[in-house]
Amino acid sequence: MSPAANPIPPKPGLLTALKELPKNVWNSIFRNPLPSNDLEKSATSFTNFFLHIHPVKVHKHSLKPTYTLGLGLISFFLFVILILTGILLMFYYVPSTTQAYDRMLDLRGTVAFGMILRNMHRWSAHGMVAVVFLHLARVFFTGAYKKPREFNWVLGVVLFLLTLFMSFTGYLLPWDQLAFWAITVGTAIAGYAPVVGKDIQFLLMGGTSVGQEALLRFYVLHVAVLPAILTLGISIHFWRIRKDGGLSRPPEADATPALEFSAPAATMKVAGPESRKTYGLQGLVRGPITKAGQVPDNTVFSWPDLFRAELFTFVITLSAILILSLLFNAPLEEPVNILHPPNPAKAPWYFLGLQEMVSYSAFWGGIGIPTIFVVLLFITPYIDRAQTGVGKWFAKERLLANTIFLTFVLANIVFVIIGTFFRGPNWAFVMPW
Amino acid sequence: MRIALAIGTFFILLIHGIVFYDQFFHRWERNQTAYFDQARAMAKSDAERAALSDRKPRIEQIVVSNFGETRVDRCTTCHIASDDPRFSTYAEPLKTHPYSIAMGDVQKNGKWERRHKFSEFGCTVCHDGQGRGLEPKYSHGEDEYWPDPLLGHTTQDSWRKDYAPKLKGKEYLEANCAQCHTDPGFAGTATVEKGRKLFFATNCYGCHRIEGLSDGTIGPDLTEVGKKWKLDYLWGRIADPRAILATSIMPKFNLKDDEIKALVIFLKSRKGRNFAETEIQRYKVKLTGGAELVQATIKPVEIKPAEMLKQGEKLILDRACTACHKLGARDGGIAPDLSFEGSIKDEQWISAHFKNPKSTMPDSIMPTFRFTDDEFKAMTAYLVSLKTAPALTNGEATYKALCLRCHGDKGDGNGPIAIHLDPFPRDLTKAGFMNSKSDTRLVNSIRNGVAGTSMPAWGKMLDEEQAKGVLAYIQTAFTKEPRRELKARQIPEKNPIAMSAESVARGEAQFVNRCAGCHGKKADGKGPNSLDIQPKPRNLRNARFVDSVDDRRLFEAILYGVQGTAMPSWIDYGLNNNDVGDLVNFIRAINQKPKGGQNAGTNQ
Amino acid sequence: MAVNLKRSSGTGASTEQIQRRRMLGWLTGLGLFGSGILSAVSNFVFIKPRATYGQPQRFSIGKPDDFPPGTRATLGARSLCVVREGNKIAALSTTCTHLGCIVGVSDTGFACPCHGSRFDQDGTVTGGPAPRPLPWYKLTLAPNGELEVDKDIEITPGSYLSL
Repeated sequence: MSPAANPIPPKPGLLTALKELPKNVWNSIFRNPLPSNDLEKSATSFTNFFLHIHPVKVHKHSLKPTYTLGLGLISFFLFVILILTGILLMFYYVPSTTQAYDRMLDLRGTVAFGMILRNMHRWSAHGMVAVVFLHLARVFFTGAYKKPREFNWVLGVVLFLLTLFMSFTGYLLPWDQLAFWAITVGTAIAGYAPVVGKDIQFLLMGGTSVGQEALLRFYVLHVAVLPAILTLGISIHFWRIRKDGGLSRPPEADATPALEFSAPAATMKVAGPESRKTYGLQGLVRGPITKAGQVPDNTVFSWPDLFRAELFTFVITLSAILILSLLFNAPLEEPVNILHPPNPAKAPWYFLGLQEMVSYSAFWGGIGIPTIFVVLLFITPYIDRAQTGVGKWFAKERLLANTIFLTFVLANIVFVIIGTFFRGPNWAFVMPW
Repeated sequence: MRIALAIGTFFILLIHGIVFYDQFFHRWERNQTAYFDQARAMAKSDAERAALSDRKPRIEQIVVSNFGETRVDRCTTCHIASDDPRFSTYAEPLKTHPYSIAMGDVQKNGKWERRHKFSEFGCTVCHDGQGRGLEPKYSHGEDEYWPDPLLGHTTQDSWRKDYAPKLKGKEYLEANCAQCHTDPGFAGTATVEKGRKLFFATNCYGCHRIEGLSDGTIGPDLTEVGKKWKLDYLWGRIADPRAILATSIMPKFNLKDDEIKALVIFLKSRKGRNFAETEIQRYKVKLTGGAELVQATIKPVEIKPAEMLKQGEKLILDRACTACHKLGARDGGIAPDLSFEGSIKDEQWISAHFKNPKSTMPDSIMPTFRFTDDEFKAMTAYLVSLKTAPALTNGEATYKALCLRCHGDKGDGNGPIAIHLDPFPRDLTKAGFMNSKSDTRLVNSIRNGVAGTSMPAWGKMLDEEQAKGVLAYIQTAFTKEPRRELKARQIPEKNPIAMSAESVARGEAQFVNRCAGCHGKKADGKGPNSLDIQPKPRNLRNARFVDSVDDRRLFEAILYGVQGTAMPSWIDYGLNNNDVGDLVNFIRAINQKPKGGQNAGTNQ
Repeated sequence: MAVNLKRSSGTGASTEQIQRRRMLGWLTGLGLFGSGILSAVSNFVFIKPRATYGQPQRFSIGKPDDFPPGTRATLGARSLCVVREGNKIAALSTTCTHLGCIVGVSDTGFACPCHGSRFDQDGTVTGGPAPRPLPWYKLTLAPNGELEVDKDIEITPGSYLSL
């Protein structure tokens, strides 16, 4: 570390080498100490593999918890928890109709930590579906999908659909009554799609009914295909955030009066040998780098502010999942009995809005309205091209767009609630109390 | 934020600690440690002590692949002393499994030897429960989702509170004994055998099929019923069928608790395939449809003409007719009284009814029995001979002797057997109906009966005066309202529209338009609205009934409605004589006997 | 744009505050590190099965009378050889100590078909590449009068159970 000129260091003896072994090993892994000045702070982002996806500096507005609510990050952490617990659960799971349920019993009964891992996996999965949806809603309500972030929005919608599919494929794996009939109902809803519906259903189930083939297919999709696609998609999603200039923010966030930067000007001039090293703003600011010092600086170093915020989000997420997993056990109902569907047979909760709508009109509920919704989501950034109202929750300029979206969201939430709590045997309306 | 972070991470650490701690202190470990301690204290030799010295608490399991699917029974993890005779006086879980001569255990030189070795049989093959669980809640099957809780020991919270105590007891285990010990005479499965006998004595066999035992087709197949349902459901389905399924047509039989218990145990033993069966045996049964086995249980009787009456009587009793019907002192409490059948029905009717109950009463719930023609003849002959009428001194006594069973002691049509009758007995308290019909018509109904329904023609037992007496009693005791003058109505005596294909087609269009909501598209009285209507809409495919009523009555019912029922007065909705004529032609047309064939049960 | 190269954390923080921050930082690190260690250990415990999916390691092989004196019976499925000499009885493994093949019983003891290892009647190596004698398993007389083998516990070769 010391810059002292020492061209030929003395050959260290074996004893010294052994004595310094731990230190040298540590230093070979972590080249830099904990940062304490701006240069080192900036170095954290590109000297650490796990942190190098971060920018060196991040806009203050992006760190406002009330703006993002940390939803994207929570989704990502839930995904990480899901990957970790999922891999562990794979050690004991067998995708076979005769063994899957027994393995669930073993996870609950004999395998150490089996229950808590399954709980964590289950609740994180439900949580991820919910949080990803909320994230989507947040981005919409703040108008964050507008230029230049159109494609990242489209990618986000794809990720949302993938998350749903991921959760759906995992739903079958316990092979209990809940799983079996939810998937039977769920794939039947897919079967309503025009022209290709029956083929999709056949392809998903690998047969005409949910059985061994379906279980195997869902397993492969759930543990290999979808996680790979999702990981790739998330990586692109993150990469695009930086390429698109960080998180969206209102124009006011950058237009601070010029008065501000007279005070810290004293520390502006950089001295010392390090000065030759440039640390670019890595896409934070568009335009030539010479802007530095000419425009108000509203950014802070990622170390420690951004990282601390991320760690905080992670801690909150993990705590919530752990508490849920301690308090509530993942459901495990009767072993599959093909002859006795439960009454009512319900799809997973996030598809209950669809099922509820299907009960009114098979085509419109199952295919028509959802397709319209998804297509609208995809083309929104290319239709709504006005650059107003970006970076503000429920901006007045975006009243129409927000209202349409809110209607869809509320309608879906209401339908999900009705389907979950207010539907009894024969899909008749019941009071949940 | 820094403080929150520090607290948060410590919180996570704490939860990790709790989870970690939780995983290393199990109830079964304490049980095993207690067992080792006790056993060490009991050890008589160094060898015994040495044998225990290396034992550490761990999950014990028995893997059984001899009986059906492979079972993993970890019960001995807690019940570790189950095969250690020294612990016979201890409390569960550290208790020796009792030895019993009934189970084939033998005592040699003062030492017991088990017939059913745990290492070969495991536990759940006899006891049920969940072999893989290690917590009593799950392993004993207290969890409401587990399909086989410990037989006769564990009841689940979701079971009906009044049934649960009755579902405990060692007898229930016989259901699993019978998986191997299929011989009916086997001493260890006496209750199963009792249930099997009741299955025939209470006429379950008439409606239900059990492969190799019975071939009824009205109710569900019970071949695998023991695999599909838990004890509480079986009990509930027998004790109170309509409590579980409101539309069930299964009657509530008059059974005592111990009889229900025997039936439940018998049904629980029906799991489709027995461990004792071989593939080839099953294949043979399949080839013959189990006919031989059915006949082995319901043996055909050779009828000798000389002893026909006697044999008929015996058959009626043996084949469990009185599980539903009343005959003298025996009363099943479900179906009509046969004590004086000879006075109200003729031989032809009884014979037809025996061979196919729906041919005489399209909506009868009586199953079709597959007895031989000779047997039917003998049974018919016996029933025809029953002509002893009860004492019919006055209207009231007559009502109580003949009518009460269906129409009820309050005359509201809710007699003891009424729920099993379709059409439902007339509610005699409804003045709207009673006062819209002339006395002649009502007396006529009593004396000539209502064809195609359970209302028999009492004419042979009651003369005109007696019938009037009954009617007078009904009117004063039930209808109560004084008779009013009948409204003068313009009704054609004869259908003015000639029967023709065009008329029938017009009638059908009218019917689908106006009537199908209640009477159903097929005119069988089972339209979508019929569920909420009492009395039920008339089954217009009941040929015997339709043939027995004249055009005038049909016109009256359609034009002016049937008071006291849901049938409206269609003249108010714009139907005229011509429209009704078409409708009547349509109704007549669908009840015409196909040429050369028999007009058998038409619904379904 | 301000670039601060002084080694200090933030501006205007007193030493007390800095101390407190550092302390909290350490606590957070400790919490995360502790949780990490605990979850690593739990993961290890998780993937190590507590109950195997095959037959159990401790099992009953029947009553002593099933093995009359002079018996050398191999129980194939359990890869076990039960030896009874007079009133002494023992259970030997028939899994070759070389590379895990199942040895066959020969006139002189046991012979492995894979790589030619030979063992005498007590399981001692007499030839071939086998590095160790065949293990003897703990054999006990259970309270129900049956012999129980525990394949998890090896005992010194030559120690019989006296009946």
